[in-house]
Amino acid sequence: MTEDLYINNSKEVYDAIVIGSGISGGWAAKEFCERGFKTLMIERGRVVEHKKDYIGENKAPWQQPLRTKVDNLLVKQQHHIQQQCYAFTDATKHFFGNDKDLPYTTTKDSNFTWIRANQLGGKSLLWHRQSYRWGEYDFSANKNDGHGNDWPIRYQDIESWYSQVEKHAGISGALDNLENLPDGEFLPPFEMNSPEKALQAKFAELYPQRPLIMGRTAHLTKPTQLHLSQGRVQCQARDECQAGCSFGSYFSTQSSTLPAAAATNNLHIAPNSVVHSLIYDEGSNRIKGVRIIDNEDLSEREYFAKVVFVCASTIGSTQILMNSTSKKFPNGLANSSGVLGHYLMDHNYNAGASGDIDGFEDELDRGRRPTGLIMPNFYYKPDAKRGFLRGYALAGGAYREGWQSVQHQDGLGLEYKNKLKQAGKWRFGLYAQGEMLPRFDNQMRLHPTLKDKWGIPQIEFDCRFSDNETNMMLDAAEQAEKMLKAVGLVNVSSGVTHGPPGLAIHELGTARMGRDPKTSILNAYNQSHDIPNLFVTDGASFCSSAVQNPSLTFMALTVRAVDYCVKEMNAKRI
Amino acid sequence: MQKPQDEIDTINNKSRRKFVRGLSLLLGGSVTTALLSGNALAVAMAHSITSVSTLNSVPTFAGKIFTLSQLKQLQRICAIVIPKSDTLGAAEVNTHGFIDNQLFHCYEQAEQDKMITLLALIDDVAKQQFSLPFFSLNDKQQYALLTELDLGINNFDEQQRTDFKSLKQLICFAYYTSEVGASQELRYLAVPGGYKGSIPYKDSDASWGSQGLYY
Repeated sequence: MTEDLYINNSKEVYDAIVIGSGISGGWAAKEFCERGFKTLMIERGRVVEHKKDYIGENKAPWQQPLRTKVDNLLVKQQHHIQQQCYAFTDATKHFFGNDKDLPYTTTKDSNFTWIRANQLGGKSLLWHRQSYRWGEYDFSANKNDGHGNDWPIRYQDIESWYSQVEKHAGISGALDNLENLPDGEFLPPFEMNSPEKALQAKFAELYPQRPLIMGRTAHLTKPTQLHLSQGRVQCQARDECQAGCSFGSYFSTQSSTLPAAAATNNLHIAPNSVVHSLIYDEGSNRIKGVRIIDNEDLSEREYFAKVVFVCASTIGSTQILMNSTSKKFPNGLANSSGVLGHYLMDHNYNAGASGDIDGFEDELDRGRRPTGLIMPNFYYKPDAKRGFLRGYALAGGAYREGWQSVQHQDGLGLEYKNKLKQAGKWRFGLYAQGEMLPRFDNQMRLHPTLKDKWGIPQIEFDCRFSDNETNMMLDAAEQAEKMLKAVGLVNVSSGVTHGPPGLAIHELGTARMGRDPKTSILNAYNQSHDIPNLFVTDGASFCSSAVQNPSLTFMALTVRAVDYCVKEMNAKRI
Repeated sequence: MQKPQDEIDTINNKSRRKFVRGLSLLLGGSVTTALLSGNALAVAMAHSITSVSTLNSVPTFAGKIFTLSQLKQLQRICAIVIPKSDTLGAAEVNTHGFIDNQLFHCYEQAEQDKMITLLALIDDVAKQQFSLPFFSLNDKQQYALLTELDLGINNFDEQQRTDFKSLKQLICFAYYTSEVGASQELRYLAVPGGYKGSIPYKDSDASWGSQGLYY
C-alpha cells in the first residue's frame, strides 16, 4: 500500500468518490482503481487494518475476562440495539456501532432493528458470508404478481458479473444444477457430516423438488493462485469469522477488494469522514463532491470528484440522499419520483423447526464449519393457492450436542461430569429466511427535529411485516415440522416468533432501480435517473428482496455499474 | 426502576436473541467443534496451554456479589456438582469466584438476588436438618442435600429445583469455558485446520471444548 493511502484534507478532484468501504464500496473502489481511475474511498468510521486490528481474534474463552460475554453496563450504555445481533460477543463488539452515538426512532407500533458497523470494511467484517446468485424468477417476481416495480434487469444481465466477483472473492459451493439458484464459479463445497448426508438422501427420495444442499459461502475451501497472491489462505474452520480473520479466509474488504485496489496506487481513503450530504450543482446537473463532518472533532471539509458512487449501506446511502436537498430536489437528491425512502425490506427469520436424529453415535465431526446447509426456496413459481406470495429458504444443519444440552439435566458429581464430557444426541433444524414484499408504506425518513452528534437528521423507521410475511412464517414452521418428521427425526418441535424487521441485517430498497424515472430512483445500471454522475449500488437499489442473501448481488451490481460508468465517462456522456 | 413495558421488551429481546442465536449456531457451524490437526498453521496459531493457577484453598475474602461465607458455601457446591476426577473439578479452577464476577457484570439484579436466596435456602435446610451450616456438613451430607434440591424433593419445591438448575448452568458455563474444562476435560482446538464431516467417536472420548464465538 502507498504511504499516503489515508488522507484528510485534499483539494484534488478525484476521478471517482466511493462513499462507504463495505462489500459494495470495496468493490467499487477496486474496479475504479483497476481501470486507472484516481479514487477516493470515504469511510465514516475508523481505520481497521487487516490482521493488526482484529483484537478479539483467536482468543480462547478463558482468555476473555467475561468468557465471551459483554458487560451489562457497556451493553446498556453503548450497545442496547447491537447486542441483539447473534454475532455480538466480546471478541466482536468493537466492530458494532455505538448506539449512544447512533440514535434512531421508530413510529408508534412499528419497530426496526438497525445493526451498524461503522469502520473501514463495514459489515464485510461481520457478515454471515452466505453467497447466492439470484435466479430468473427472482428478477421477474415483482412483474409477475404486481408487488413493487419490475426489476430493470434480468438474470442474463448480471450472470457474467456474478462470475467475475465469485472468482475474485472465492465462493465455495457444490454444483447443484437448480432451476432458480444458478451455480457459480465455485471452490469446493464444505463437507456434510454423516447425518446430513443421510438426510440429504432422504429428502431427495421424499421431496425431489426440495433438495437440501451445502450452503454456498465466501470462504476459501481451496484458494486459487489469485487468492494466495493476496495473502489469503485456506479456511481453518475456526468459525470465529466476525472477530476478523488473519488467514483472509473469508471475503471482506480487508482481505480481498482493498488490497487489490491499493495495489494500483490509485486508491486514497478518507477515514473518520461522516458524509453529511452531496454537493450538487444545479447548472450542470452534476454532483461536484461531498460535504464531510469529521467523525471525531466534528469539523467540516469537502471532497470533489467527477462521479460519486454511494455505497454507504441501504439506510446510510438513502439517508445521505435525503439530507442533500436543493431547490431542484427539495425532498432529497435524485428524488424527482418521490419514492426515495420507500419500499424498505429485510428478510424474515421468524420460523423454524428442529428435532433429534437417531443413530450415528459412533461419529463426530471435526472442525467448526462456518456454514450450514440450505434448502433453497421451493416456492419460486407463483401459485395463487398457497395463501401468500413469494417464498422462503430453510437453512439448517446437523450437530452433536455437548455440555450445554446436558447441564439442565438432573445429576451431580462424577456421573454428571462424565455425562457433560461426552457428545450427546445429534440434532437437526431448519430455519426460515423469508422474502419480504416491497411495500410503499414501509419506509425510512429523516426525523423532522432530532439530529445525531454530527448534526445529521436521525432516521425514523415506519416498517412492519405484513400478513403476507406472517402467513409465510406459519407455513414455514408447518412445512419444516412436517418434513423433519417425514425424514425420520424424533421429538420434532416447531415455532414462529415475532421479531421486527432489521435483524436479518439484509435491509434493502429505499432508492430502487427501475425502468420508469417516475417510479424509481436508479436506472438499470444503478445510475440516478435524475443526475448522470450519481450511482447507488448497495442494497438501497433493490426492487425486491428475493429469498437469497443479498451480498453477492451487491458485488455483481456494483462491478457492473462501474463498468458502465467508466464507459459512459469515456464516451463523455458523464 | 424498570417500567413494565421495558420488562416486556427485555423479555422479548431475550427470547428473540435466543432464537436467532439458535439459528446462528446451525448456520454458522455447530455446537460441536474442533480437533487437533497436525498442520503447521494450526500449530502456529494454537493457544499456549499454560498451567492453571489452582485456587484449591478456601476463599479468604468476599466477592462482588457474595459474602465470604457465601463464597465458601458456593465453592463446596461447585466441588460437588463437578468434582475432581482425572482432571480438576469446578472448585479447583475457581468456578465460584468466576460466578461471583460473572453475576456482577453480566446478569441483572433479579438473577443475582435469586442466587443469594438459593444459597440462603441451602444453608437454612442444612441448619434445620443437621444444626450446622451447609459448609460444615460432611461430603455425604452435602451431596444428599443437593441431590434433594436437584430433584425438588423432601425439603425443596419445583421452583427451588429450577433455581438450582440455573446455578448448575452457571457452574457448567464457568467450568467448560475455563482452561481446564475446555482443554483438558474436553478437547480444545484453536485452529482446526479445516472441516471434516466424520471422525470415529466412542463413549470414552470427550466432546469438543472449543466452540468458536458461540458459547
